[in-house]
Amino acid sequence: MKILACQILCFALFIALWQWQTMAGHISAFLYGSPAGIVAALVATVRDGSLWTDLATTALETLAGFALGNVIGTTLGLSLWYSRFVSQVLQPFILALGSIPIIALAPITIIWFGTGFASKVAMSTLSVVVVSIVIAYKGALGVDPDQINLMLSLRARRPQIFRLLVVPASMTDIFAGLKLTVGFALVGAIVGEFMSSTNGLGHEIFKSGSLYAISSVFAELVVTVVLALALSGIVTRVERLLLPWRHDLS
Amino acid sequence: MASGRPDVPLQAEDIGKSFVSDNGEELEIIRSVSFALARGEIVSLVGPSGCGKTTLLNLLCRLLEPTHGAVFWKGEEVTTVPAGIGYMLQKDLLLPWRTAIQNVMLGLQVKGGARSRHRERANALLEQLGLEGFGDHYPSTLSGGMRQRVALARTLAPEPEVLLFDEPFSALDFQTKILIERDTLRLVRELQRSLLLITHDVEEAVSLSDRVIVLSRRPCTIVSEHRIDLPGDRSNLIALRESKGFAHYVRQIWTELDIR
Repeated sequence: MKILACQILCFALFIALWQWQTMAGHISAFLYGSPAGIVAALVATVRDGSLWTDLATTALETLAGFALGNVIGTTLGLSLWYSRFVSQVLQPFILALGSIPIIALAPITIIWFGTGFASKVAMSTLSVVVVSIVIAYKGALGVDPDQINLMLSLRARRPQIFRLLVVPASMTDIFAGLKLTVGFALVGAIVGEFMSSTNGLGHEIFKSGSLYAISSVFAELVVTVVLALALSGIVTRVERLLLPWRHDLS
Repeated sequence: MASGRPDVPLQAEDIGKSFVSDNGEELEIIRSVSFALARGEIVSLVGPSGCGKTTLLNLLCRLLEPTHGAVFWKGEEVTTVPAGIGYMLQKDLLLPWRTAIQNVMLGLQVKGGARSRHRERANALLEQLGLEGFGDHYPSTLSGGMRQRVALARTLAPEPEVLLFDEPFSALDFQTKILIERDTLRLVRELQRSLLLITHDVEEAVSLSDRVIVLSRRPCTIVSEHRIDLPGDRSNLIALRESKGFAHYVRQIWTELDIR
């Protein structure tokens, strides 16, 4: 409670100082924006409805990329548990793919997937998939060998060990990965919008920036932050719902 | 070493195990161990710490392949885990995402069959082990003793003929240990199961077993074998510890254990 009060106080002080300084003319509202300007820009986007379309566009791109990247990544990562040989063969390729800065892939995704929704989803998926593979595989490898011996002593076959032990045992790691990659998915979508787009939060930020509409940039940034928080909040909720045995979560 | 005796559930013939370490050295863990576990018999293997007891257990249920020798299940040589083995370690190995009853049902689920039957059997076992009402609890909410009881129920659920226990009670406090040992003993005797208990606790071995086999330090061989013949009620583990013969066996085995 005390912490929260201090946090709110700090934030309010910062906003007040900023507003006061711009009003006093010590800092330029043109270059640095102003809290009043940000609020005005936000209200304007709500009025003309562009806030909702941009928010929905970016949220959809992010969710699609997040889901696609994690489904592909987790499936691949977990199946690597089946064969140590295959996983060792693939290791350098996965590492190479992981070391590519995602933004460098933007031109190719535009050529392949066009300038619309699909290319943003592709960027978002690419930002997620490698991390997701590595985390799921690490989770699968982390299963206690004694636990595997126990399953073997019950004469479980490999698919049973996979289904009854490896997959649920990896869930803790996989959810940690989801929390991490939900942010990556958003970055991917925004970067995609920067490259070429007609709407979306990234598009608006880019456009406002080019027009030196700094308050608008900040307004869109605020919306982006809210979106990011909401998305990670949803992941945390789902985790609590799906892993009821993790008492440390609640 | 053609075949074993068909009337003996589990038999080891001159099994040994060596590992090759990273620098190419051969490390002999088990030199040669032979013994037979009869139906309904409780046998303990005691040895000094680090003598390779767990390796031996893994060899006996064929989770590991012996370097030489063979394991026989009812007279037939086995190369994979035989059907009818129950395996229990010091760690309870309960799956944290499964409730107590779901953990008990694990082995049954692997075997297949009707779920309602599994639930019935698991419920009955939990009740027999004094855990009625705890079926829907997650392991993280149970005490160490209760968790080990759930693990025991999980081990017994598929009705194994031979139980292989690797120090399953050693992490429990004395009181809990005596109680769970008593319940185990009762169930094993009642169901006519064979039990092989690996332990470093000599008193535990003498109090529970029909036979105690003493193992040497590494590379592991059999030093001696004692048939435990104690008067009175064998299920009263406290009174047993005070009987005259008990101390004699314990002393005898201690001197043979070669603990420096």
